[in-house]
Amino acid sequence: MMLKIDSLEFSIGDFNLGPLSFQLEEGGYLAVFGPSGAGKSILMELIAGLRMPKGGKIIIDSVDYTFSSPKSRPVGLLFQDYALFPHLSVFDNIAFSLKILKNSKTQIDMRVNMLSEYFSIEKLLKRDIGSLSGGERQRVALARAIAHQPRVLLLDEPLSALDEELRKGAQETLKNLKNSGQTIIHVTHNREEVEGMATKSILLGQGFIKSVF
Amino acid sequence: MRFNRSFNFTYLIFVLLGAVILIFLIAPLLGLFISLKAPEFFFTLSDKQVGESIYRTLFISALVTIIASFFALPLAYILARKNFPFKGLIEAIIDLPIVIPHSAAGIALLGFISRDSLLGSLASSVGLNLVGSPIAIGMAMAFVSIPFLINSARDGFTAVPVRLEQAAETLGASRYRVFTQISLPLAKRSVISGFVLMFARGMSEFGAVVIVAYHPMTTPVLIFDRFNSFGLDYARPVAAIFVAVTLVLFIFLRIYQKK
Repeated sequence: MMLKIDSLEFSIGDFNLGPLSFQLEEGGYLAVFGPSGAGKSILMELIAGLRMPKGGKIIIDSVDYTFSSPKSRPVGLLFQDYALFPHLSVFDNIAFSLKILKNSKTQIDMRVNMLSEYFSIEKLLKRDIGSLSGGERQRVALARAIAHQPRVLLLDEPLSALDEELRKGAQETLKNLKNSGQTIIHVTHNREEVEGMATKSILLGQGFIKSVF
Repeated sequence: MRFNRSFNFTYLIFVLLGAVILIFLIAPLLGLFISLKAPEFFFTLSDKQVGESIYRTLFISALVTIIASFFALPLAYILARKNFPFKGLIEAIIDLPIVIPHSAAGIALLGFISRDSLLGSLASSVGLNLVGSPIAIGMAMAFVSIPFLINSARDGFTAVPVRLEQAAETLGASRYRVFTQISLPLAKRSVISGFVLMFARGMSEFGAVVIVAYHPMTTPVLIFDRFNSFGLDYARPVAAIFVAVTLVLFIFLRIYQKK
């Protein structure tokens, strides 16, 4: 199993998450549903290493990442508000992780060009983040999140900021990403968003798994 | 009667009241230049002591601002991002130089660097007399002006969304890299503003500097010295030249800051 969450627990104030246990196979698409306050975003942040759990395990490719720093995890996270860096161009946003990994300039150019073609954002590469529309931002954020080829891509309400028309296009993009073999966890409160894509679904309610289907 | 959006009696009163403040700020400076007498002014322009003091003042203030930033920016970042016991107390200590009289700050510093003190005796053991040295001037300038850099930078770092720093971390950035590539560039405007304020406040300092180092003279001390020894006519041209230099610098820095 590629991703294994085992008895994961977290507490903040009065809110308790878990113990949660689930698994995801390579290339799988896990949809995590639940109302606001169910702990969906916290679960994403725990897997990404932005919060540390009280107990349990986060295993990716048989390696225990439970208490590892975010930078050492083979994970990409698409934030709900995309969290693009406003002082960097589209190109530099996508290339951010590649520069940290000390890729050569040629490698960076190749990877960014490949991703920009894949997400149809070739013409945006020199643009400032502030000049992008909602749909463009989402595609740039996706390209940035997978630029360093993470083993697991975490999507935190990726379509919630888009209108109906843009949402359909973005769903197509996610479908293509899934078909390319990317392992994905998609958090949403809207089941329609993941119809035809999810290989497994979890319903989260007040910090506990209510059902798996 | 038709309502006129562009005219409002309250705004008119506010504008008039605000104008009083502007006149209060501009009038003395304007008076300083208008009352200048040409012979004294040109004589002062060629006065080596004046030129040296201006260079010394600007150089020491700029240098202490740069040196202080290595300590002030990390502290500002910690204050912006972390909550810890006695944080309020630390913030109050940082603001202390703003509220205490600067002559008192000078006295405190003098005790800290005189030969009887630990720092002073350490310095004199390597042949360095801190009192009356450019180092003392720099310390006095830094003491009274560092809160401006810390507070401005802290406000800038606070305004950077934590989400962006987290995004950088998930993309493989270390905490240090997050600071240098995300937090610092995004807080740039506030940090530069802090640099300008600290530099400006440092070079204009008189009270603390005059106590720890009457000589070598900074320009504010020289203005006081000329006034005390020779009177207003000799102090005025030095003051006018220093004000002109600082105004030009300040305008340039403001323009750069807005870019």
